[in-house]
Amino acid sequence: MGSVLAAASPSPAPAASQDSPVIPGFGSVPPGFTMPPLSSVTPASGSDQQGSKSDSLLSNPGTYEECHQKCKEVFPLQMEGVRLVVNKGLSNHFQVSHTITLSTQSDSGYRFGTTYVGSTQTGPAESFPVMVGDMDNTGSLNAQVIHQLTKALRSKIAIQTQQHKFVNWQCDVEHRGEDFTAAVTFGNPDILAGSGKRIVDLSLPYTRPGEEGTVTSLLGRYTGEKFIATLTMGGAGAHATYYHKANDQLQVGVEFEASMRMQDTTTSFGYQLDLPKANLLFKGKMDSNWVVGGTIEKKLVPLPLTLALGALLNHRKNKFQCGFGVTIG
Amino acid sequence: MTGPESKKASSPGVMNWFRSAYRFSTDRNDFRRNLLVNLGLFVAGVWVARNLSDFDLMSPQPVA
Repeated sequence: MGSVLAAASPSPAPAASQDSPVIPGFGSVPPGFTMPPLSSVTPASGSDQQGSKSDSLLSNPGTYEECHQKCKEVFPLQMEGVRLVVNKGLSNHFQVSHTITLSTQSDSGYRFGTTYVGSTQTGPAESFPVMVGDMDNTGSLNAQVIHQLTKALRSKIAIQTQQHKFVNWQCDVEHRGEDFTAAVTFGNPDILAGSGKRIVDLSLPYTRPGEEGTVTSLLGRYTGEKFIATLTMGGAGAHATYYHKANDQLQVGVEFEASMRMQDTTTSFGYQLDLPKANLLFKGKMDSNWVVGGTIEKKLVPLPLTLALGALLNHRKNKFQCGFGVTIG
Repeated sequence: MTGPESKKASSPGVMNWFRSAYRFSTDRNDFRRNLLVNLGLFVAGVWVARNLSDFDLMSPQPVA
């Protein structure tokens, strides 16, 4: 379900720090940059004071593809090898990044990334259009353009190539109402061959020449004062997440996934410790497959440097993996 | 003397039930078993998150 790109990202996203929000499939945006939240839950804006609490619970739930995002952000990203990232802001609207990756398990190489944020401001933290691009040394491109067409209508175009060949391209339009969000996504549309994928939030009509099918799934989300519980269920399986904000320093996430196709279930427990006074961010996780992992990020104040260390240990398969990253700027 | 005989008749049934429950709970290839175990782990994780996460790391340490 959801974004094709998020499942087909060629390289893992770098570890994101608190002031560098992660774009699904593209990694972190350089700090100090205005980025529109792709699925923000709009705060209650009604003037009715008596119903203010119920208004906040009935606010816009966000998009379907990012319903589990809050819980997933608590879990550490898998780090492997060495990564050096240099971010440079060229203006208030434009930033570039250089990433060098050295790895034994995946391809080592260089990636050049750019981010442009327009001057059309729709909110205190939202500016449009947003263009994010990323190209590696083989010529493979990931690009995304997000634009707010009207007050309630937002469009997104995403393209992914492997060298000169277009692998994934999708376009989606999202309508954000007061207490609902409706989105239509077209994945790999090919008018000449008559093929493509159309996703309409809760249903997924999948069309290929000579082959048609529909998959329906349901989403439920309960938001409390300090927690968010989300459940998605469909023919392919079920996915449940529970996010709990214990205090300003500690956030906890629990995730359950069951796949009927793979006949497999997994439960994961993750937590995030944020100590801004120590310029430290620690994320840890453990799951039912006997995998334990963690990442630690430390800002080396006063240098514009962030050090990231990560490790993952699979007890069942006796495999260990560690990574090291430095972000400058 | 039906009491001890009925007890003997029911105890193999109970033992069989225990044996099948043990085989079910230790069979890692059984999808239903894995589903139940992971659901239990999820519920336990939610309980831990709600009840055991209210500590303040930046609070001053008690003086010994």
